[in-house]
Amino acid sequence: MVFEKVLIANRGEIALRVIRTCRELGLRTVAVHSEIDAEALHTRLADEAICIGPADPSRSYLHIPAIIAAAEITGADAVHPGYGFLSENPEFAETCAQCGLEFIGPLPEQMRLWGDKVSARAMAKSLGLPTLDGTELIEDIEDAVRKAKGLGFPVLLKASGGGGGRGMHVLHSKEELRAVFETARAESRAAFGNDALYFEKFLERPRHIEFQILGDKQGNIHVLGERECSIQRRHQKILEEAPSVALTDEMRRDMSATVRRAMAEAGYLSAGTLEFLLDERGELTFLEMNPRIQVEHPVTELVMGIDLIGEQIRIAEGRPLELPAEPLTPRGHAIECRINAEDPDTFAPSPGVITELHMAGGTGVRVDSGIYGGGRVPPHYDPLIAKLIVHAPTRVQAIAKMRRALSETLIGGIRTNIPLHKRILEHPAFEEGRISTKFLDELYTERMLTAPVRH
Amino acid sequence: MKLDLEQLRELIRLLDEANLTEIEVEHDDDRIRVRRDPAPLPAAAGVESVAPITAQGPEPTNAASAPDDDEGAYVTSPFVGTFYRSPSPDGAPFVDVGDSVVPGQVLCIVEAMKLMNEIEAEAAGTILEVLVESGKPVEYGDRLFRIEMG
Repeated sequence: MVFEKVLIANRGEIALRVIRTCRELGLRTVAVHSEIDAEALHTRLADEAICIGPADPSRSYLHIPAIIAAAEITGADAVHPGYGFLSENPEFAETCAQCGLEFIGPLPEQMRLWGDKVSARAMAKSLGLPTLDGTELIEDIEDAVRKAKGLGFPVLLKASGGGGGRGMHVLHSKEELRAVFETARAESRAAFGNDALYFEKFLERPRHIEFQILGDKQGNIHVLGERECSIQRRHQKILEEAPSVALTDEMRRDMSATVRRAMAEAGYLSAGTLEFLLDERGELTFLEMNPRIQVEHPVTELVMGIDLIGEQIRIAEGRPLELPAEPLTPRGHAIECRINAEDPDTFAPSPGVITELHMAGGTGVRVDSGIYGGGRVPPHYDPLIAKLIVHAPTRVQAIAKMRRALSETLIGGIRTNIPLHKRILEHPAFEEGRISTKFLDELYTERMLTAPVRH
Repeated sequence: MKLDLEQLRELIRLLDEANLTEIEVEHDDDRIRVRRDPAPLPAAAGVESVAPITAQGPEPTNAASAPDDDEGAYVTSPFVGTFYRSPSPDGAPFVDVGDSVVPGQVLCIVEAMKLMNEIEAEAAGTILEVLVESGKPVEYGDRLFRIEMG
């Protein structure tokens, strides 16, 4: 099947990103938008635009019947969900199929499997992917002490029913464990209606490394190298790069082969990302699998010389991919800074009208954004307004290019996290590639310690 | 080329149905051009037609609704879908211009995902204008009827 018209069930920079590839492929595009996004860039740049509901996402971008009806009245033959919103919703993918629309993404059963952390971990283990050491459920305090010693401190005490970073305790000794165990159990019961607890090995300063894959309808899995996304705040990625300085060619080759084998066995379709933690001894362990295109996909596109959205579309059409010849090896270095409409110090959201805008340009600079001068950043959605991405022959040159690009970027009327990006890129530890998921916390602690004392 | 009123009507209908902004017909030495201002939505095709980045009227009104007086209130579509004035293709319309309506009375159907959603009047009043043609697609918030309240 060859598509003629694609509906993009998203907004902001990712909707623009999909529109761009569609246009290059000669496909017509349909934007869907909420009332408050009537003037948004995706609404204006698509060939057709349909208002699907009010600003509240649950009544517009998350409202499946409205999106399907928009596809019906415009005669779209495929739907690209972007990331977030309905991108990992198996019911949406199923409804698309029932209505004769091709969903550009993985199959619903794969979203269910990989969307649940427990089943994803079990699946990963059965597919031969390395997983973080953990224990069975804990019976009582004596059992807890035994299990924690077996695993080796520090350990992470986790609620089986928890999620989103809640219900977790980092424990460094059995004294700490004895002190919190009963409280943790009571908390878990109160918060999740379930007091089942277990341990996981706690990594003090891990790096976040993820592998991009593409699975086609012919059953092939292509592994497109890794991205390093260790610069995070509260599990939200801020800055990503490819390749990672922490992987040797051998580690990259070995893990790519493991991932290819595992995901071929799982029969994975479309774009997906396997996230890993890399500990200080150089061991990669599976964290989770994201069955969708990711925000940070452009760094992979730049170093691998591919269009991941284009490949997703070709996969959905059942056509052969247009990848460079094997082996797929990264060329040069790419960095992405996520520009958020938020205060760089307090992280408070900063919606409003963009009074003036100048985005960086020049050699090796790519901008994926959903904003324009005079446009409005509504308070109802994600604060990500633009992504600044650079590509250079080496990491040192990429850092210099990103500093230059950030210095050219001018966004007036709202606050953005550009000052934070500048601080990260100027930090000696970042320059040397000595980073971990604790980098931002440590950067803020350092700033507090070195900040001039006010009298 | 002799062009009668019926042929002209046909051209205008074609313009509307195909959602074009201009049609030009040339025959021997005669030429006729029918054009209109582009409808705000759905956006016209092609890269060239991308709207300039300036503020424009925020109202996502359907091309058919262009009342220039402020008299009356509007019933807007609560869904994206296809607008139907009658319960069946051959049936009589639920309401027509001049009809009085009471709260809860069905005014039309907006079909989405094969579901026929009946749109009811929220207040009593008289239908002044039907703003969308039966069978046409409507967006969320499109004006469907103009009603004189009371």
